[in-house]
Amino acid sequence: MLGYTLRRLVLLIPVFLAVSVIIFAIIHLIPGDPVDSMLKVGSGPEQRAIITARYGLDRPLYEQYGIWLGKLLTGDLGTAIVAKRPVLDLVLQALPHSLTLSGLALLFSTVLGIGLGVVAALNRDTLLDQVIMGGVLLGSTVPSFWLGLLLILAFSVQLGWFPVSGARGWSSIVLPVLTIGLGGMALVARVTRVAMIEAAQRDFVMLLHAKGMPPMRIQLRHVLRHALIPVVTILALRIGWVLGGAVTVEVVFARPGLGTLLIKALNQHDYPVVQAALLMLAMAVMLGTLLGDILQAAMDPRVRAALQ
Amino acid sequence: MTISLRRAALASSVSLAALFLAAPMVFAQDAIFVLQQDEVGVPTYNIVANGNTNVGARLIYDTLTVQDADQSFHPGLAESWVEAPDGMSWEFTLKTGVTFHNGEPFTAAAAAAWLALYAATDNSYMTASIEKIEAVGDNTLKLTMKNPDPNLLYNLSSSFMGVVEPKAFAALGENYGVTEAVGTGPFKMESFTIGSETVLVRNDDYTWGSSLAENKGPAKIAKITLREIPEESTAFLELKTGGVDMLLGVPTDFLGELAKEPNITSLSLPGQEVVYMPFNVTRAPFDDIKVRQAAALAVNQQEILDSVYGGVGSVANQFLISALPESKVAPEYLISYDPVKSAALLDEAGWVMGADGVRAKGGVPLSITLWTQSDSVFRRLTEVVQAEFKAVGIASEITTFDSSMIRDQYKTGEQQAAVRSYYWNNADIVDWFFGGDRLGYPNISMFNDPKAEALRVKSMSGSANGAERIANFTAYHEYVLSQFPMAPIYQPVQNIGYNKDRLVLPAVIHGTRIGAATVLDMTVTE
Repeated sequence: MLGYTLRRLVLLIPVFLAVSVIIFAIIHLIPGDPVDSMLKVGSGPEQRAIITARYGLDRPLYEQYGIWLGKLLTGDLGTAIVAKRPVLDLVLQALPHSLTLSGLALLFSTVLGIGLGVVAALNRDTLLDQVIMGGVLLGSTVPSFWLGLLLILAFSVQLGWFPVSGARGWSSIVLPVLTIGLGGMALVARVTRVAMIEAAQRDFVMLLHAKGMPPMRIQLRHVLRHALIPVVTILALRIGWVLGGAVTVEVVFARPGLGTLLIKALNQHDYPVVQAALLMLAMAVMLGTLLGDILQAAMDPRVRAALQ
Repeated sequence: MTISLRRAALASSVSLAALFLAAPMVFAQDAIFVLQQDEVGVPTYNIVANGNTNVGARLIYDTLTVQDADQSFHPGLAESWVEAPDGMSWEFTLKTGVTFHNGEPFTAAAAAAWLALYAATDNSYMTASIEKIEAVGDNTLKLTMKNPDPNLLYNLSSSFMGVVEPKAFAALGENYGVTEAVGTGPFKMESFTIGSETVLVRNDDYTWGSSLAENKGPAKIAKITLREIPEESTAFLELKTGGVDMLLGVPTDFLGELAKEPNITSLSLPGQEVVYMPFNVTRAPFDDIKVRQAAALAVNQQEILDSVYGGVGSVANQFLISALPESKVAPEYLISYDPVKSAALLDEAGWVMGADGVRAKGGVPLSITLWTQSDSVFRRLTEVVQAEFKAVGIASEITTFDSSMIRDQYKTGEQQAAVRSYYWNNADIVDWFFGGDRLGYPNISMFNDPKAEALRVKSMSGSANGAERIANFTAYHEYVLSQFPMAPIYQPVQNIGYNKDRLVLPAVIHGTRIGAATVLDMTVTE
């Protein structure tokens, strides 16, 4: 397992480099110029030239990339062009907010998703199964922006239970967590249900039934354990996506975080900030994938055997 | 998420909200304001170096001069000033007894040290005309100029030129404006969370309110939280539920919803924005001045004001906001809807009306592309303009760009006509958008006329004093209008929405926008 984990970690290096090239290229090739956001009426064309040169934006793209990557490898994310602050400071201020929101959303979607998936599987093809899966389908198809507004209308405007927006206290995080978590919950519930149904058809389950073990015990103790292998993989893969999903939700709920930082920086074409924020999101996806693979190997003896 | 989707979402949300009885949340004290959209995301209160600022800077820092809604200048931290007849020097007599938030005295030496900070920053152009900065005694600041700069008072009243305490600025380095910001303003920065909120507490030592404020002493509000809510619909729901007390910017199409709330009222301040349509004078058919004039006269400003903006704001008949003296051009330069003349001009230019309602010349139809940005109001406005063009025989196709990318599209010079707006309260905006040295963007019209260039240079650097500057810019503005590189359309107002059960605003709002003068005179009802 250790060798496998190390091999996977080493493989992340070329992936990281490829991702850094893609992010850098996309950001610099889309139309837009950060200097436009910095120039104010009254400044002359010479001011544009000065600012462009000051931030190295007049250098060839490959040279800019080299400088960025060189600094990146030493842990220096550069200085924001428009915001004029160390990007690391901006990211470190934003990241805890996003991680808290994403972590809670992941926890919510996991607990509720597995629970609903199990209930649906246990009541396969019944009205309850259809209601749960119908609700889950609805939850996964409503855009998070719209869902967020609906939750605000219901729980803030009508019931007054939670604040409409902001990041003051734990009550303010409930609706954003629900907004992100409901979509994720749908996926987890669907995967859990299918995995449970598949696992329930295996030979060892028939054997357990033949031995007279109580059906509920078989389901929860043996079937669920097998069903959780794909679920755990899906959950690990979702780490990055949940962090990415927080982007729009942070904007709707006016919460500080990586998403708010990214959107503002995108509008201003503040390249170093956009690059850093996207890199964080990409790394979350990469690490989530790695975690998923390692967990799968750890949980499934067949995978371990194949690796050996 | 485009703004059009957001607006659509809001409309639906508000309809749903109307079904519910909201239980307003009561906040015991202090005031919570929501920043207007273009002020969201300011990364620092280091106004010396940064290119973005918000109302917080206008409360933390005082400026030497202040500007009223009529664009006139009044004493701020400078109680008076004298400009040399040749414009080559200025003397500012500073208020005495003023202290910074950290207890340091505000003196001429401090003011000189603060002004010197700009030289090495991206904002250096604001002090570029100053040759020498001298403290003459404790309370006289003398500026010797490289060239006359009648715009100096404007710059000195800008929120980018609030007086910063130089020692704190040097000591805090890159943390200045983030962990601490030290000015002489009526509020001190207590905390700042980037992208979320700024908490300001009253400066109890404050006794030097500007001449625009009735209350010269400490503010009546003890604490102000400036919240950043990027989503307009969320901000509206916060105001509706009592989560915040004031929205410093309300889109015009939200005013109807605000009016339905019994505890909320709105207020309109003179606008600093102009919506207009630049024509690319280098591309056919707008390389013909007659076609440009015809297109400009085809725009029914009043219809647009009524149908797109619900009658809120005013029509624009020239390029500048109407509060500026340079906007008072001779009547013959005003551009107003005249479909008969528009049609006649197109006839004169050889564009003959076809059976399909589209004019043509030499077999080529009079068909153009109208650029606009991804905002539902702009889209709607552009569609109305499209219909008005059609009425005089100009066919047009609308192309929409993301608002963050359209500037780069302009730089290609491929535009024929565009619907856009600017936000600025100084006549130098004419130079910005029509200067021959900025073709593409900001000079979207690609306007590069020798006579206009001469008038531009004279306006920008050939004025010894304010009166000359006004005269020169008025002449430049008139000439630009006479060449029809654009069609003026609409002048919005600044809409403020607030909870009238919580806040009492002064009867007259001074200043170009909500700032220290208004907040000093504002009270919170407990």
